Amino acid sequence: MNRWLLVAAVVVTLALPPLLPERHLGTFVLLGLAATVTAGVSMLMGYAGQVSLGQASFYAIGGYAAGLLTVHGVPTLAGLLAAPVVAAVAAVLLGAPLLRLRGHHLAFATLAMQLILLSLLGRGDWAGGAIGLQGIPTLPVGGDLGYAYLSWAVLAVVLVISRNIVASRAGRGLRAAATSEIAAAAGGVAIGRYRLTVFALSAAFAGLAGGVYAFYLGYLSPGSFPVLLSIEFVVMAVVGGLGTIAGPVVGATVIVLLVQALNTLGTQPGMPGYAPSVLSYAVYALLLVVTVLYLPRGIVPAVTDRLVKERRP
Amino acid sequence: MTSGAALEVSGVSRAFGGVFAVRDANLSVAPGELRAVIGPNGAGKSTLFGLIGGQLAPDAGSVRLDDVRIDRLPPHRRARLGVGVVFQAARIFPGMTTLENVMAGAHATTHAGFLAAAFRLPSHRREEREIRDRAAECLRRTGIEDWAHRPAEELPLGQQRALQLARALCGRPRLLLLDEPASGLRTAERERLATLVEDLRGDGLTILLVEHDVAFVMRLADRVTVLDLGRVIADGTAAEIRADSRVVGAYLGTAA
Repeated sequence: MNRWLLVAAVVVTLALPPLLPERHLGTFVLLGLAATVTAGVSMLMGYAGQVSLGQASFYAIGGYAAGLLTVHGVPTLAGLLAAPVVAAVAAVLLGAPLLRLRGHHLAFATLAMQLILLSLLGRGDWAGGAIGLQGIPTLPVGGDLGYAYLSWAVLAVVLVISRNIVASRAGRGLRAAATSEIAAAAGGVAIGRYRLTVFALSAAFAGLAGGVYAFYLGYLSPGSFPVLLSIEFVVMAVVGGLGTIAGPVVGATVIVLLVQALNTLGTQPGMPGYAPSVLSYAVYALLLVVTVLYLPRGIVPAVTDRLVKERRP
Repeated sequence: MTSGAALEVSGVSRAFGGVFAVRDANLSVAPGELRAVIGPNGAGKSTLFGLIGGQLAPDAGSVRLDDVRIDRLPPHRRARLGVGVVFQAARIFPGMTTLENVMAGAHATTHAGFLAAAFRLPSHRREEREIRDRAAECLRRTGIEDWAHRPAEELPLGQQRALQLARALCGRPRLLLLDEPASGLRTAERERLATLVEDLRGDGLTILLVEHDVAFVMRLADRVTVLDLGRVIADGTAAEIRADSRVVGAYLGTAA
């Protein structure tokens, strides 16, 4: 049954882009990228018990790495491949001190990390400063339709990697350490190294998405990576369901569609100018509260639980 | 300087807030020996257990495993050198099946990392098969194979204890540390545990059993070490310990 659901999802995903009107194709691309970043957040939170409120930093680092390299003449494909690597290396360097912190302290530290990064990018002339980095070449994928397939192919790769890791020796070590550090360490899990590795892995996912983003838009500025974006990734992960493979896709889809609908509503004639931003902030808050209250484990676990119960009356 | 001992604890002390929990403790366990450490509540048994397993670091003294000094090593490094640990508290991994819990125990003696797993390299597949076989064997041995695919948190206490034991065995330890494994178990479960522990000793595994229940250890242990107020007050065979007046005074007398 699960297999058929997967096949259906893949068929719909492949069939959708040519059918979408031009103006919605961009949403489809950004949704694929958001789900890719969220897959990393979900692994970090759901399987390793760490919270990052600064995941957009690595999205930005990947984007700027790809952008800067290709603006300076590096081939686009090499730039795209460099994006996750640079983001992962940055995560290792930043994570070594940061991951000494736990829980809320870690969350705030990652938030601070992003604020510092945004300030550096805004002041750095080498990165285009506050105006942004312009003239990033495009990937030879054949326009928006190509990017739609590319972003979802990237998502598919990331989801397969996530699934492979979760069901492996390393994944068991991670899940064990998230629930009982003492017992995991006694079983031979090097907890510090594992925490750092999964932080770097989630950063690599974000960096790869950021690389595609840079080529897709051809332009980057610090304003493209607000703190709100990091929070959005966390909300997507929680709403979809932490510790599930499909959760990030479902969560990202729900949030993106909802924000889109509210944006349409907010820009109706007669609405005040601040309506769209107020509505989107409100929807994150509301959705998070409703999810935590009624579906504490997120949409995907709630649905699969129900399916399992129906089969075993 | 080799002692030939599997485990050598020399002059180990550990204080908490100025109070010694373990003071100048010495302990030498021969390869293949089943050693019990007994003592009244607060004698420092669990502290000594933590000092050997690596959950605690000693203030002074040394701990050697097969003549390799381990007292400054973190717990995961000690696990890789062959220290297997079964805690008294049910430190299981909820959200994972019983089989996965036991497979996690193989960590100490396996190697596949994130990259091998991410791309399902052949080395990873081979090792994964081996871990699964090994875990199944450990489940069989501890009698919980029927629970293999159930979430670990659904197991009753006795089975959770068995699960911890299976998990420790899956790491192929040279020294097995058991912290009050019989506490909270029913008589039948206790019997089964005793049989299993005897079985493991039969395989040549060195076992250190920290236990409050004197009757349980007296029939199992080759030698018994008695702790009181953090000090080793006696060390000998079960018969010698039973006849030792200091032990009777400190522990057996009050327990009887």
